[in-house]
Amino acid sequence: MYDLARKALKLAEQAGAEEAEIYYAANHSTGVNFKKDALENAKDRFSEGLGIRAIVNGAVGFASTNSAEELENAVKIAVAEARVRESDPDWVSLPSNGKYPQVSGIFDKKIEALELEECIVYAVELVKGTKEVPGTLPTSGGFTRSKSKRLILNTNGIEIEEESTAVSGFVDVITVNGDTSTAYDFAISRSLDIDFFALGKNASDLALKSRGGIKIEPQKTDVIFHPFAFSDILEEALAPSLDADNVQKGRSGLIDKLGEEFAVPELCIYDDGLVEAGIETSASDDEGVPSQHTTVIENGVLETYLYDSYTAGKAGVKSTGNGSRSSYTSPPSVGLRNFVIDYPQEDIIANTTSGIFVNTIIGAHTANSISGDFSVEARNAFTIKDGALDKPVKSLMISGNAFELLKNITGAGFDVRKVGGIITPSIRVSGMSVIG
Amino acid sequence: MTGIMQDIKFYDCRVIEGSSTSIVLDNGKIEEISRNFTRGAGVRALCGGSWGYTAVEGDIDLKCGVEAASKLAFSMNSSTPKEGVELAAVTSPDVKDLPEVRIDPRDIAIEEKVDLLKSIEEHAKIAGVHSTKVMYLESEFKVQYRSSEGLEREYELLNVGFAVSAVASENGVYQAGRESRFGYGYELFEKENALELAGKAGKTAIELLKAKTPKGGEMPVVLDQELAGVFAHEAVGHASEGDLVLEGDSILENRIGEQIASPLVTIIDDPTLHEFGYYPFDAEGSESRRTEIIRDGIFNSYLHSRETAAKLGGTPGNCRAQGYSMPVVRMSNTFIDNGDSRFEEMLEEVRNGMYLVGSRGGQVNTGEGIFQFNAEKGYLIKNGELTGLVRDVSLSGKTLEILNHVTHVGNDLKMTAGRCGKAGQLVPVSDGSPHIAISKALVGGA
Repeated sequence: MYDLARKALKLAEQAGAEEAEIYYAANHSTGVNFKKDALENAKDRFSEGLGIRAIVNGAVGFASTNSAEELENAVKIAVAEARVRESDPDWVSLPSNGKYPQVSGIFDKKIEALELEECIVYAVELVKGTKEVPGTLPTSGGFTRSKSKRLILNTNGIEIEEESTAVSGFVDVITVNGDTSTAYDFAISRSLDIDFFALGKNASDLALKSRGGIKIEPQKTDVIFHPFAFSDILEEALAPSLDADNVQKGRSGLIDKLGEEFAVPELCIYDDGLVEAGIETSASDDEGVPSQHTTVIENGVLETYLYDSYTAGKAGVKSTGNGSRSSYTSPPSVGLRNFVIDYPQEDIIANTTSGIFVNTIIGAHTANSISGDFSVEARNAFTIKDGALDKPVKSLMISGNAFELLKNITGAGFDVRKVGGIITPSIRVSGMSVIG
Repeated sequence: MTGIMQDIKFYDCRVIEGSSTSIVLDNGKIEEISRNFTRGAGVRALCGGSWGYTAVEGDIDLKCGVEAASKLAFSMNSSTPKEGVELAAVTSPDVKDLPEVRIDPRDIAIEEKVDLLKSIEEHAKIAGVHSTKVMYLESEFKVQYRSSEGLEREYELLNVGFAVSAVASENGVYQAGRESRFGYGYELFEKENALELAGKAGKTAIELLKAKTPKGGEMPVVLDQELAGVFAHEAVGHASEGDLVLEGDSILENRIGEQIASPLVTIIDDPTLHEFGYYPFDAEGSESRRTEIIRDGIFNSYLHSRETAAKLGGTPGNCRAQGYSMPVVRMSNTFIDNGDSRFEEMLEEVRNGMYLVGSRGGQVNTGEGIFQFNAEKGYLIKNGELTGLVRDVSLSGKTLEILNHVTHVGNDLKMTAGRCGKAGQLVPVSDGSPHIAISKALVGGA
C-alpha cells in the first residue's frame, strides 16, 4: 500500500479533486499475554491502509481501504462524496508549507528488532513481579511492542514520513485469601526502559494493601488523585471542552472563557507534540501540520482552545497541531497531544493532614463532557492521616466538576507519570464530595 | 515448517470482507461522509497450551497466515510449556433465519440518506435546543470460517443505524439528550420512528436543564428497562464470561447451582434473537444458542468459548471478535426476562426512593463484584408517585447484593442496541430488561 500512496494522490486529482490528501498508516505489533500466571498466547498483527480526503468546491469527501484492489474505487468514492455535499463556507484549505521541527526519542531500533523470545521474557517478568508478593495472583496482562509508520501527502506540497516504536506492559491482579481486592498497573514507553518486574510487584502490593477496606462517612475532604485517576478525569471531563470543534458548535463548557482566571494561579497546562520521547510526540500532527508547544492554561488563565486545520480556518487562527486520527479509516478531528500538567511539586502525602488518596477510578467516561460534571467510583483508595496513608476504603463515590476542580488544586506530588499522552503528577484537590 | 505442523493440534481462519458508510450531520451541515473498504484475516493456531495468533489486513495468503500463527504457538509452547488446551466439540452450524432486510440501504441514494438525516435533525431542534448532531452508520460484511477440523461456513450481515443528540444550555449549564437505534434494514427508520425519537432527545436536553442534582445515599430504587439492561450486561453478564472465571476474576466462580439472586430474576443471553447482538455462528464456528445465565435466582451457566467450555463444562457459542482480532468470550443479546409486576405497582411499593432512567454508561469490577452506572436522569419517588426530575445521578453497589434486593420484575421487556468493549475490542450487542425495583442501592449525586 505504501508504494500506492503517490499514485492515489494523482488518481484523486485526475478524478476531479481540487485538493487531496493521502494518509498512510502501517503498524506491526507483537503481544505476549498471560492468563493467571501462565502465558496463554502470542499475537502478531499487521495493519496497513490508506485514507483519502478529496475536496471539491469547498466540500470534503473521505474514503479508506486496506486493499490494493479497492484503492481506485475508494479514491473515486471520496471525490463523488465531496460532490454530493454543499460547499462549506468554513473550509479554507488543506495544510501547506510544512516546515517540521526535530523530535527525538520516538524510535528505538532495539524495539524494532525484538524477537518473540525476548517479548516472552518481558511478559514473564510481569508475572514474576506479582509473585514477589505472596497472597496475590495475576488474572491477566501482557507485554506488547509495536512499530508504526506514517506517511502524509497532500496536493499543497505536504510530504512527511515518520517511524515510531513503543512498548507497553499491563497487569491485573487479585488477592487470593480472605477479602478480595484487585489492582492493576500499566506503563507505556517509546523505549525499553520499563521495569516490568516492578510493574507486576506494584500491582500486587496495591491489591494486598487494599484488603479489608473500611466504610467512611459522606463528607467533603481533600482528595489526592494518582496520575491514573487524574488523567482519566482530565481526558473525559476537561479535554472535550478544549476541543475547538465543540466550542464552535456550542458543546463546550469553556465558551467565552478565554483570558479568564479559570484555575488556581500556580497551575499551567501545556499541549505539546514535541516532548522528548512522548507517546503523542511526532514532527507533525495527523494532517501534516507541524507539531508545537501550546500553552493552554498559564498561571490559571485559559489561553487557547485546541485546533486542527479545519477548526482553525473556521476561527481565523493557526492550527495548534491537534489534528488527530484513531486510524487510517477516519478523517482527522481535534485530539490531545502530550498534555502536560505543571504545578509546584511537594511531598504530597506527607504534607496532607487528613483526606483520601485515590489510585484509580472507574466510570470516568460517564462524565458530562460539556458541563464537566463527573461521578466516579474510586478504586484502591486510602484514608490519609497525619501525612501517611492509613486505611483502605472499600467503596467510594466521588462527585465533582472538572472546571471547579482546577480552581481547588492545592498541591502536586513528585511522582510525574506518562499516562499515555497525559503527563501529570498526583494532584491534591480540596473540598471534594465523597460518599463511602 | 512440517516439523512444527506436527505439533499444531488445531488451527482456524476467519476471513472478513466488508465495507461501511458513515454520514455525520452536525448543526444542519454535513460534517462527514466516509466510506471504508476492508478485508483481512485472523488465524489461530494451538500448540500444547499456547495459542499463536496472526492478523493480517489487506490481501491475504492464508497458508502464510497459518504458518506464522503456528510458529508463534510453537515458540510459546517451547519456551513456557504447560498443560495442553482442550476444545469442546462443535458441529457444523446451520446458517438459517438471518435477520430479514426489507429495504436494502445500498439501494438508497446517498442524497436521500442525507435528506432523512436532515429531517431527523430538524425534529431534534425544538425550541431551546441550540446544538444537534445526527449520525448514520451502515455496514455490510461477509465472514468466512474454516478450521483444521474441516468446518467451513460463511454468512453475510448488513447493519444500519443512527444516533441523534441534542444539547440545550441556559446560564452556563449544558445538558444533552441522546437516542440511537440499530438494526438490519433501512425500514428501521420508520419502524423505530426516528423522527419522534429525535424530538425525544431534544425534549430530554431541555428538561434536564431544569433538573436538580439530588442528595446521594442509600435508598430503594426503580430502574427503567435501559438501565436495568445495562446492569444485566455489565454486572452479571461480564462476571459470567468463562474466560474471566478461569482468570479468577469473577465473583461467580464456583457458584453454579447456587441461589445468587432473588427468585424473581432470570437473566438470558441469546444470540439467535434478531437484535443487534445477533450472529448465526460465533468466531469459532459454534452455532449460536440461548443460554440461561440465571434461572429463577439460581446461577445456571457461564458463557463459553470452546476452550472455557472444555475446562469448566458447558456449551460453546459465545466466542466473538471485532474484525481480525483474536476472539474472546462475549455476550450477545443479554436481558432480564419478563416478570409480572406493573410499573405503577413498583412505585406504590417503593413509596419513597428514586426512579433511575437511561444510561450514560458504566463500569464494573467483575473480580470484586462492584459496579457503577450513570443514569441519564431520574425522578424522586415520593409517596408512591413520580415527582421532581433529577440529573447527574449514578447507581453503584455490589452485584450480588443488588441481585438479592430485587423485589419486583416488570412485564415490559425492552432491548437497547449498543457496543460492548472488552480486550480492546468492540462488538455489537443489545441488552434489556423490564422495569425492576430494588429495595436498597447506593445512589450518587451531589
